[in-house]
Amino acid sequence: MEMVKDALLTLVRESGFALLTWQEGVMLLVSFLLLFLAIVKKFEPLLLVPIAFGIMLANLPGAGLMDDPAGIMTELAEGATRAHWYENGVLRLIYAGVKSSIFPCLIFLGIGAMTDFGPLLANPISLLLGAAAQLGVYVAFLLARTFGFTVYEAASIGIIGGADGPTAIFLTGKLAPDLLAPIAVAAYSYMALIPLIQPPIMKALTTEKERKVEMKQLRKVSKAEKIIFPVVVAVLCAFLIPSCASLIGMLMFGNLLKECGVTDRLSDVAQNALTNIVTIMLGLTVGATANGAIFLQLKTILIIVLGLTAFSFSTAGGVLLGKLLYLVTGGKINPLIGAAGVSAVPMAARVAQVEGRKYNPTNFLLMHAMGPNVAGVIGSAVAAGFLLSMFG
Amino acid sequence: MDIKFQIPAADDFLTAALGITVVMATLALIAVFILLISKIIRIIEGKAKKAEADTKPAPAPAGVPMPSGMNNGEVDLIGVDEKTAAVIMAIVSQQSEIPLNRLSFKSIKLIDDGKKGGEA
Repeated sequence: MEMVKDALLTLVRESGFALLTWQEGVMLLVSFLLLFLAIVKKFEPLLLVPIAFGIMLANLPGAGLMDDPAGIMTELAEGATRAHWYENGVLRLIYAGVKSSIFPCLIFLGIGAMTDFGPLLANPISLLLGAAAQLGVYVAFLLARTFGFTVYEAASIGIIGGADGPTAIFLTGKLAPDLLAPIAVAAYSYMALIPLIQPPIMKALTTEKERKVEMKQLRKVSKAEKIIFPVVVAVLCAFLIPSCASLIGMLMFGNLLKECGVTDRLSDVAQNALTNIVTIMLGLTVGATANGAIFLQLKTILIIVLGLTAFSFSTAGGVLLGKLLYLVTGGKINPLIGAAGVSAVPMAARVAQVEGRKYNPTNFLLMHAMGPNVAGVIGSAVAAGFLLSMFG
Repeated sequence: MDIKFQIPAADDFLTAALGITVVMATLALIAVFILLISKIIRIIEGKAKKAEADTKPAPAPAGVPMPSGMNNGEVDLIGVDEKTAAVIMAIVSQQSEIPLNRLSFKSIKLIDDGKKGGEA
């Protein structure tokens, strides 16, 4: 009888109900909320579902899915015995793919294989719009410093303005891994909210005349140009900023697979199977870094606010350069396409198209906006490379 | 974390200014390379096309092109509605890589076995 009583007491003591801390409870609620947003409201569901579920799994009391008794990525408590690597929690083991940048780089490979740089090649001035739309990265960096964040944290927060999830994860994983979860959640949430965030800024910064501008049809880009482009960009960027070589290199490799015409099978795998597999593991483990004790702090709210600021300034940067180009070219460029310079592909380009048509129903800006949009992917990777070379 | 407001150091401003400059310069350089490469490729492809054209018999005079999007003259539609005819003309233009304003369709007619035919 005594033995049964002891066994029951042990079960109760070791159950999740007894071990649950208030932080874990709140994080579980946060994960449920994110699941709701992803499934019901369709907020970037392909990423937010794994992230939210990762948050949930990592905060199950006593489950230890993110434990690191081997002390591979975290400091061991004084006097603690170092365990074997395989005794780590399963999500901690998979998280090595984030920590080592393997996952973000593989995602970039997939993005490259999915991206058509044709509109960019047809109108290379789009690259400037993609560069100007990185303005928010540096504004948010300065604001984060104003709020007392370290340079590493500020750089990681700033990169949210690049509107590129894998780049944000890549940089944060290297500079401020503790902030990985809030930054990833902020980045992907704002990407989903682009149709709400961008239009008021686009409207505020442009005149009706500018918004009505019809752009002439893009020229046809030859296959040779499309094949040479990834090789040139990979070499050029790696020569200029070696720290962005891993991201840009993989992006351009993926694009070469797509464009060269002799690696269709590889391109297909990169676009579909590989990207999907890595997305699952990346999302799940990024979510799993959302430790209640770290996540539930005032700085998480600040990160969310600063992320929104970064997005807004990036949009403004692109639109303002668009206005400048409108003036320089004598009204041939519609400044709305500048907003697509934030690299959320193709959402930002779609927003430019929708906004353009509101003021001129015969206008078709989508392909023109795709140029700055894909330029933004390169721009955010270069921005991340620069920050990494400064603080990495 | 204790939230404390502080004016960013001069180094921070310098980093931000340098950062946006580096991004602009890098992407501008890529733009220059793209322009150069596309120019070179177009020159090479132009020469190749010219060489190809020299070996072929000279085509009939093309005449003055019509404004973009317009077609030369009337088209006789026999057993084909206008919508289908428009689609056929667009396909011929795309496949032959000749703009519609340089193509002249005389007639498009439905042939006996159910397929549509025409002469350009």
